Amino acid sequence: MSAVDVESSAMFVFSDEQNALRATVRRFLAERSPETEVRRLMETETGYDTAVWQLMAGQLGLQGLALPEKFGGSGFGFVDLQIVLEEMGRALLCAPFLSGVVLAANAVLLSGDEAACAQYLPGIAEGGTIAALAVTEASGSWRAGDVTTAATAVVGGYALSGEKLFVPDGHVADLLFVLARTAVGPSLFAVDPAAGGVTREPMGTLDATRKQSRLTFDGARARLIGEDGGAERPLSQTLDLAAAALAAEQAGGARRVLEMAVEYAKVREQFGRPIGSFQAIKHKCADMLLAVESATSAAYAVGWAIDEGSDEVGVLASLAKAFCSEAYTHCTAENIQIHGGIGFTWEHPAHLYFKRAKSTEILFGNPRYHRALLADRLGI
Amino acid sequence: MTDRPDRNGLSADELAAELRVFLAEHHPGRTPPATVPTAAAERLAFQRTWQATLFDHGWAAPGWPRRWGGMGLPLRLQAVHHREMALARTPVAPSRIGYIVGPSLLAYGTEAQLERFLRPLIRTDELWCQGFSEPDAGSDLASLRTRAVLDGDVYRVTGRKVWTSGAQFADWMLCLARTGPAGSGAAGITALALDMHAPGVNARPLRDMTGGAHFAEVELDDVRVPVAYRVGDENAGWAVARATLGHERSTSLASAGMRYRRVTGDLLELAQRRGRTDDPYDRDALARAVTDARLLEWSGQRVLGRVLEGGEPGPLASVIRLQHALFEQGLHELATDLLGPHAALAASEAHLAAGGKQDGAWLRGFLRTRASTIGAGTAEIQRTTIADKVLGLREVGR
Repeated sequence: MSAVDVESSAMFVFSDEQNALRATVRRFLAERSPETEVRRLMETETGYDTAVWQLMAGQLGLQGLALPEKFGGSGFGFVDLQIVLEEMGRALLCAPFLSGVVLAANAVLLSGDEAACAQYLPGIAEGGTIAALAVTEASGSWRAGDVTTAATAVVGGYALSGEKLFVPDGHVADLLFVLARTAVGPSLFAVDPAAGGVTREPMGTLDATRKQSRLTFDGARARLIGEDGGAERPLSQTLDLAAAALAAEQAGGARRVLEMAVEYAKVREQFGRPIGSFQAIKHKCADMLLAVESATSAAYAVGWAIDEGSDEVGVLASLAKAFCSEAYTHCTAENIQIHGGIGFTWEHPAHLYFKRAKSTEILFGNPRYHRALLADRLGI
Repeated sequence: MTDRPDRNGLSADELAAELRVFLAEHHPGRTPPATVPTAAAERLAFQRTWQATLFDHGWAAPGWPRRWGGMGLPLRLQAVHHREMALARTPVAPSRIGYIVGPSLLAYGTEAQLERFLRPLIRTDELWCQGFSEPDAGSDLASLRTRAVLDGDVYRVTGRKVWTSGAQFADWMLCLARTGPAGSGAAGITALALDMHAPGVNARPLRDMTGGAHFAEVELDDVRVPVAYRVGDENAGWAVARATLGHERSTSLASAGMRYRRVTGDLLELAQRRGRTDDPYDRDALARAVTDARLLEWSGQRVLGRVLEGGEPGPLASVIRLQHALFEQGLHELATDLLGPHAALAASEAHLAAGGKQDGAWLRGFLRTRASTIGAGTAEIQRTTIADKVLGLREVGR
């Protein structure tokens, strides 16, 4: 990606189709994922609404939007997917979208295993298959090299043994993709959770709008995806896409809480005048806008780089994940502060965004981890 | 000058190629940087020579009308122009203030004023300053006190301006003066093109905290300004002062990204030279600096993208100035941190010579950028403006 390439398709300028996509998704989510639904679903164990999930796939084609046409998708770009994720972040949609459509689907795609893609992706694209990707273990590391779950070759495949933690939506998935170590090295496997040897339980989480789970494998039968011992690179690329996806979601959420804060500052009166007329509040809001606009830029910069096949994707993914995480957390905290006492109550949605922000700040590695990765990737 | 080359119909690649040929032949930065003089007066002369060279070859003021000596390029090509100049590390424009005054003249000047002022302004044959700030009115222009009284065909101007950048070198001042009654606020201000060589003008250099004199205090004692040199209508000075070619500015914002990349490159070089790239804290800080520079670059690109599509620069344009000011300060604070004990030395100290002029420049910048959040509207004013205008909080004000 060149810095000021005014001749190529201008970065950050959306087409009419993209604007229409955003409007459609926003309207859909306003109707199907209002705060009441978010609150209802976060109290359930599955954490999503199957009817809404089917409408997302059938009516809007969101699950297959950015997947290749030859695997049942619509072949749109990553930026189109980010538009959808930004809106999902605004609405705090409760659905296994990030886990299956972003993480699991891309892990399979990037493995380069055509047969596995042909077998698994159409189901994900049409919404029939809920998928999850299990990477992290008790160490909390997102690096393939730290994986200890063992994969042993058995007749007709492999058997997995070990424990995975913090697996987004792993407890409701119809299909698991699991990172495990063979004699050769870290490798990716497909596991049918209904077959024997798999135990799943939801973990109690800070952010109830996105469930995480604990999976244990005790000789579970698994199919190798891609090359034996070759998972390190595709996993790293998958996590870069996941970081870019989350950055867009975070930017969308941050913009929503800024709107909430400003709306409230206009109507809430203290000392005989709206609090939005106090300079301290104005300056907080201005700084939030600076954070929101910057987060939006960072998210789309990596999105555009992905669509252009730029070799800077890794650099920009870490940059965006670190920046958008902090920007979102900052904005959700300021939103609570501007709302005062009401912002601290359970009934007010401010805490839902605050918790989503914190949980996504940690997911895939915290900002400090990603800045270290950024420094590495820049060759500093 | 109608014989000036018209580069309007060129493609981006053609324009870039032509400009590179010109720069290869004429760019003074191609000689060792040590030849760029450090003394203020000499540096100014150096920059003016470069600007005249640009003008004489038809490469000055890319967005301004050809009629007045500009290039009249469409926005798309202006961006290319800015990019190439930034990449070539050309000297900075000698009269940045002139380029801020220019849009006011273009928007509100009479035909005769444009004929008189613009060419010498672009060529920097004449330098301009901006007489806005006063001892009791910094960002709060509405309370300025310098008075202009109409007397036949002249205004008689009396008052005092401070923090007037480059006033000691300027030939002209875009002067804001009160023509309305005291207490008329922003509504009683008129803009005048005031001759800095006229009787009654006394500009005294004012040393700032860097030790240099970048601005001056200007006393105006019954200075006569012909009515013909009033810019815009009487009492309409507020609008004149605020005139900016926002669209044009957005193209230079986009190219600023190039410069930010370059300075962060210099910062990484400093860190490496000082052996400060192994410590996790330092690496974290460097990664943040790179992030901030990229964000500014993208902000500029987003504004440019919107404008190229025929839209308005949008809210982001207001945010960028604040972002820029904070970035500059943060960058120099990090640089002083990386300099370690050397940061406590004077910028001119010989012991810094190990790092060359570069290290002294970081230290001067450390002091200079304290003004980044003050000059041309404090960061507080900017935040208030963003909240009021972009977020709509003005309507809830008292």
